[in-house]
Amino acid sequence: MSAARRTVQGVPHDDRPTLFCLHALGSSAREFDALRELLADDFDVVGIDLPGFGEASAATGTSVDEMVGHVVRKIRRHGSTRFVLVGHSMGGKIASLVAARTLDGSSGLFGLAGVVLLAGSPPSPEPMGDDARAQMLSWARAGISGDGHLATADARTFIDDNVGAPLSPENDDRALSDVLRSAAEAWLAWFERGSLEDRAAEVGILDVPALIVAGGSDGPLGEAGQREHNLPMYPRATLEVLAGAGHLLPLERPDELADLIRVFWRERVGSGPFVSPGFGRVIGSGRTSSQTRAILAGRALPDDPDYTPQVLDAAQFATLRLVAERVVPQGPAPFDIAGRVDAALARGVSDGWRNAALPPDQEAYRLGLDALDDFATLDDEAKDSRIQAIVDQQYAPRAGTLTAEQMTLWFEDCRVDLTRTWLAHPATMERIGFDGFANGGDVIRIQGFTELGADRREAWEPAMPGPSARDTGASTTETTDTGITDTGITDTEKETVR
Amino acid sequence: MRLDGMRTYDDSEVVDAVVIGTGAGGAPILASLASRGLRVVALEAGANFDASKYTSDETEAVAINWMEERLSDGENPTAFGQNNSGKGVGGSTLHWGAFTPRPDARDLKLKTDSGLGEDWPIDPDELTGYIEKVEKFVGVAGPAHYPWDPTRRYDLPPVARNASSDMMIRGCEAVGITATDGPAALVTRDWHQPEHGVRPACANCGSCHQGCRSGAKVSMDTTYLPLAVAKGAEIRADSMVHGIELDASGRVSAVVYTRNGIEHRQRTKALFLCAGGVETPRLLLHTGLANSSDQVGRNYMAHGATQVWGKFPTEMRSHRGYPSSIITEDTVRPADADFAGGYLIQSLGVVPLTLSTTLARGGGLWGRDMVDMMDSYRYMAGVGINAECLPHEDNRLTLTDELDDFGIPKARISFTAHDNEDAIEKHAIRTMTSIVEAAGATSTTVLARTAHTIGTARMGTSADSAVVDADGRSFDIPNLWIADNSVFPSAVIANPALAIMALALRTADRFVAAGA
Repeated sequence: MSAARRTVQGVPHDDRPTLFCLHALGSSAREFDALRELLADDFDVVGIDLPGFGEASAATGTSVDEMVGHVVRKIRRHGSTRFVLVGHSMGGKIASLVAARTLDGSSGLFGLAGVVLLAGSPPSPEPMGDDARAQMLSWARAGISGDGHLATADARTFIDDNVGAPLSPENDDRALSDVLRSAAEAWLAWFERGSLEDRAAEVGILDVPALIVAGGSDGPLGEAGQREHNLPMYPRATLEVLAGAGHLLPLERPDELADLIRVFWRERVGSGPFVSPGFGRVIGSGRTSSQTRAILAGRALPDDPDYTPQVLDAAQFATLRLVAERVVPQGPAPFDIAGRVDAALARGVSDGWRNAALPPDQEAYRLGLDALDDFATLDDEAKDSRIQAIVDQQYAPRAGTLTAEQMTLWFEDCRVDLTRTWLAHPATMERIGFDGFANGGDVIRIQGFTELGADRREAWEPAMPGPSARDTGASTTETTDTGITDTGITDTEKETVR
Repeated sequence: MRLDGMRTYDDSEVVDAVVIGTGAGGAPILASLASRGLRVVALEAGANFDASKYTSDETEAVAINWMEERLSDGENPTAFGQNNSGKGVGGSTLHWGAFTPRPDARDLKLKTDSGLGEDWPIDPDELTGYIEKVEKFVGVAGPAHYPWDPTRRYDLPPVARNASSDMMIRGCEAVGITATDGPAALVTRDWHQPEHGVRPACANCGSCHQGCRSGAKVSMDTTYLPLAVAKGAEIRADSMVHGIELDASGRVSAVVYTRNGIEHRQRTKALFLCAGGVETPRLLLHTGLANSSDQVGRNYMAHGATQVWGKFPTEMRSHRGYPSSIITEDTVRPADADFAGGYLIQSLGVVPLTLSTTLARGGGLWGRDMVDMMDSYRYMAGVGINAECLPHEDNRLTLTDELDDFGIPKARISFTAHDNEDAIEKHAIRTMTSIVEAAGATSTTVLARTAHTIGTARMGTSADSAVVDADGRSFDIPNLWIADNSVFPSAVIANPALAIMALALRTADRFVAAGA
């Protein structure tokens, strides 16, 4: 993928998704320099110095909540609306909390697509030996009573204790100088409070694609620690162990991490549709309520490519996916509408009624799809003819499934479910030019709309694909660069359906 | 709404009245009775919501709709769900469109005038008196001069017009139809609602059907229910009624309901059934009560609500603003009618999932046609009708043998539009298409649908042919009263909620006058 540049609403933007990288204790954004170079073609890698580390002053506060707030502000200022949070060690706990607050709408961010934890500290208290904690606390206290930084000998010990094998001289220098420039009070805050805080209930279960990487020779945050503490919070995570690696993974194994992240993106994150930065900013803005932002954030998450149907069997599900392709021809980045419909059926979501001629929803779906078990053998034209025959009650399914009438009725429900699921995705909302969710934030005096007339737009509204205000003289059907057909139709056509 | 600090009653206490349902029927009754010092308890099947937590997201906003499954059949099966009953403290007024034309006096005398349908056993002037009382209390926005009723006055200036409104005004002018700002039950200025507080002026957010977050729109939880609670009524949310007990003399003595999985039995001197046109008859059929006439469940009516949408060369983006701000009543009795009754036309804004559902069900769209249509969503605006529907005995709600979570049989509603409904629709499609085309649409699409659930426990003058008398009182059980759209003898072309609220106040007065 190239890093093509374009401009959206005057704001410089590039097409690459962003990796917001949160470093470990005693480190800085510089630990991701190697990853940035390795991934530059595919990702905008943005390291964020946490308060008290790197270039960031400890003055903004070194508690977990203050670090979370700091990261949220940095991401908002950056403006990316398609990003992955990468958290190394201490940064892992911060990443999990930022992810939780983004998925529940409260951070005001939009566009989280995945989480990568590198020897991440969990939301629960960090597993750590008493001796190690006491030792590092003593370093921090000594620093505070001294010049505000750790002693060089202590810094040396810290690095040596955390690598699987010695770092390159260049990396070693860099790691050592990062420890030495970090604020001892930030260390103290982490060991006295931050690492001990139990935020697991607050984070809950994060249903987001996740990659968890452990060093094979790491200590308490190695494979066993990751399995026990982080994996249960990320049901969609894959766990990778780098044999022989210690705790400082971005410095020790940047090449392997870059490969893992590329594969993670390609296979588990990057396939679905996403919104433009301008549209994402409106979802993230104070015009959209937190509840609504949370709903849209959940829906914007990439689908699980290995989704196992819960209501339909494998054959029925494969048929539904083929039906969905014909009923809702999506753009170049489709999402798994069929999987979402199966999941809704499994949750028992009801639309409030069913035609009395049909069996209950789940059974109707199974029988309707059984009746289409030859669908895969049809070419596109034949598939569409079959569907139209069903709509027209001209298709007689084989015995043991549904009657022709039932087939028509079930397919009416089916196409409603598929279409509504398609439209519920924020990327579809942008595609069709709907920003009506941004009609009021978390206030009683909701903002609503002031410009209500034709061809009127408010200053906050995002640019929409296609011409935003049509030249009424234009009379030909045109296709925009998004592949969306415009509505200019010269001849009045009437369509009456009952 | 705030229910902390409200007066509460014990199940074993014999209260003066239990009201089932807290929508447009139950809420005014509750307020009216509590204001007179009666001890009243409302049982509401749904939750008590915090309005500020509503979401404009269409998929999730169904929390305020009655989404428990109903079975539909007949030639024109009703699509229930989001389009009909509500659930929650406030009932259907949580999601209603707040379009509040008044019932036309001619509609109440339809049978006298046309020989078809039914008359209401109520003096239209008396009903209008109650309607004015409701409008005064809840706040209704409307035009300074109402062309079809010059004496009418609205307390609040009309709601802001959107692109759909401008389109309908333009189209009507071009074809010689009078149209103006419609009556809308929402406040267009900050409004002090007694016992509730300030309801901020409508912000034109366009999410009326997903629940009004600010309280500008009239809903029972911001109007009658706070008054009721202030006057000593208790509202029990999450309370599903599934039994009614009678004493030896055949009067209601207690109501059986389940709350949080526990069965309760509230003793009472009287019962008001205000659960709406589906749940009211369903409970009566389930309990086998008040049905010596065999009329419970019969004469189910659904307003014709066909829409005509146009594509325009300009961006309409009709999700902005109050969705249905323009009305014409020119079609209440069209000169060239070949049918009884008539219809109203309103301008239409719509949100995408709702539009796509109507396109799929009413328009048969799928595939590339659907995607293309939704891709032109922002260029679409429309008009729609609310049309007379005559009562027919065979349009009927019955019970199935499928049980819901409370062990109550699910309802089956059979509805078929007859000749009169078809004739109205034909006329309306012609009229609407001419308006939308005259307004500049480059193409039009007709979408068939119905709205509202009416008439399943009809009011009448004879115990042989009606469930309740002209006061709303059961012919069979003297302390059972019904006040919701199920008592409507005919559909009336005005949207029903205003008439339901007015009838509810009247029923409360009749109850008190009867000393029951």
